[in-house]
Amino acid sequence: MPYISLNRVSYIYNGRSKPAVENVTIAFEQGEKVALTGMNGSGKSTITHLMLGLLKPQAGTVALADRPIGDYSLVEIGEKLGYVLQNPTQMLFTTTVYDEIAFGLRWKGVSGTELDKVCTNILKHFSLWPLRHKMPLTLSEGQKQLVAICAVLALKPAYLILDEPTKSIDTFRKEILLKALRDIGREGTGTIIVSHDQEFTRRLCDREIKMVDGKVVADGSRC
Amino acid sequence: MDLDVRTKLFIAAIFSVLAIVYQDPVILGTLLVILFPVLAFLKTPLGKFYDFRKLFYLYLILIIIQSLFVRSGTPLLIIGTIHLLTTDGLIYGLAVVMRFIILVGAGLILVACDTAKLLLAMSKMKIPYEIVFMIQLGIRFIPILIGELSATFNTIQMRGADLRKVYKRKVFKVYMEIFTPLVFGILQKAEQLSILLELRGFRLYPERTSYKTITMKKRDYFVIALTSAATMVFIYGTILYSKGQIPLNLR
Repeated sequence: MPYISLNRVSYIYNGRSKPAVENVTIAFEQGEKVALTGMNGSGKSTITHLMLGLLKPQAGTVALADRPIGDYSLVEIGEKLGYVLQNPTQMLFTTTVYDEIAFGLRWKGVSGTELDKVCTNILKHFSLWPLRHKMPLTLSEGQKQLVAICAVLALKPAYLILDEPTKSIDTFRKEILLKALRDIGREGTGTIIVSHDQEFTRRLCDREIKMVDGKVVADGSRC
Repeated sequence: MDLDVRTKLFIAAIFSVLAIVYQDPVILGTLLVILFPVLAFLKTPLGKFYDFRKLFYLYLILIIIQSLFVRSGTPLLIIGTIHLLTTDGLIYGLAVVMRFIILVGAGLILVACDTAKLLLAMSKMKIPYEIVFMIQLGIRFIPILIGELSATFNTIQMRGADLRKVYKRKVFKVYMEIFTPLVFGILQKAEQLSILLELRGFRLYPERTSYKTITMKKRDYFVIALTSAATMVFIYGTILYSKGQIPLNLR
């Protein structure tokens, strides 16, 4: 049974004549590491928005854990799927890096030493510990990207959807991110990576879905 | 009818000024009734009014707040010797809401205009280019800021903050938490934008040329004259209605 499935999904943005996504059928099994590739405007980000229920398809169905995505609230979707936007600035809304990581955990009821332990571990793991008191919006693009990823990773979702996660990250931190994603993959967390970074996706993902003009043109495992 | 932007600006200004200077609910109601055919005549997207349904609670709060400060009329709610709610209070509260709708309608006249032509009209009206440019930026960036804010709220919910299921005090706390980064982000964008503008030679020359042109036609002068005459009649009508008094809200 697939964890996320799109069945004959089509979506047209308001005022456009051409569909951004057309008759797409994809299934993501639990724990899979999938690369979603394609040129700019091929419909990759639209697919992620459909999977998260942020867009409602005009045709077809989207299901998460065997239930239609429309049955879930955004909070419930957030418990299952962790999503990092292409633009990390839109995902940073607290006054310190530490609070950014702690925000979701606090809402989950984690507090005291346990909260501090999780935040400290993740910040140290991604070499962000020296920046913990800084305001996230004052950081470099790459650092912002990592903070946004860490904030989602701390919540341990069943599936991670990362839109261009390596866009501004330096080689050193890219390696750390790769290792972290492999580690959580071993624990059973699935990952969908929307990226142009072929080297990164080749090293991490075992399946690639290629999109052209809103359609899936290739879907297969990597050798 | 395809009118010049300046004509539309004139009509919008007339409605806005009348909505602000009059306080009487009957006069504002009449103005509201006149507004809708005018909006239809100017091909203003009336459907946009539907978007304001979300402000229903705000209207309700406005009516209640306004009514608390009016003592005259038949008391509807009395606590001790204090008249908390009166019929006059409710009527004036309604007047505040009508004023708000008229101002929104006047704004919608401008929303339907071509932005470039609107700015050109302002320039022709001798409004300094810097101010015109700032308005242009505002119009350009408001949808982007709304989109970003919406993405931030989606993120907040996806990180587990179910703002619908917690106490209002906690929701308020979340809003206060994100307020500083939000303002900081806007200032950061403004700074980046000013650097980009300077790099592209903003204000390098005293005058700017424009690809588009606007011209006032006979029908524009006719509509302006008709609007002016109708305004005079309206004002005269309000004086008659107020038995010789000028019913303005200029205190």
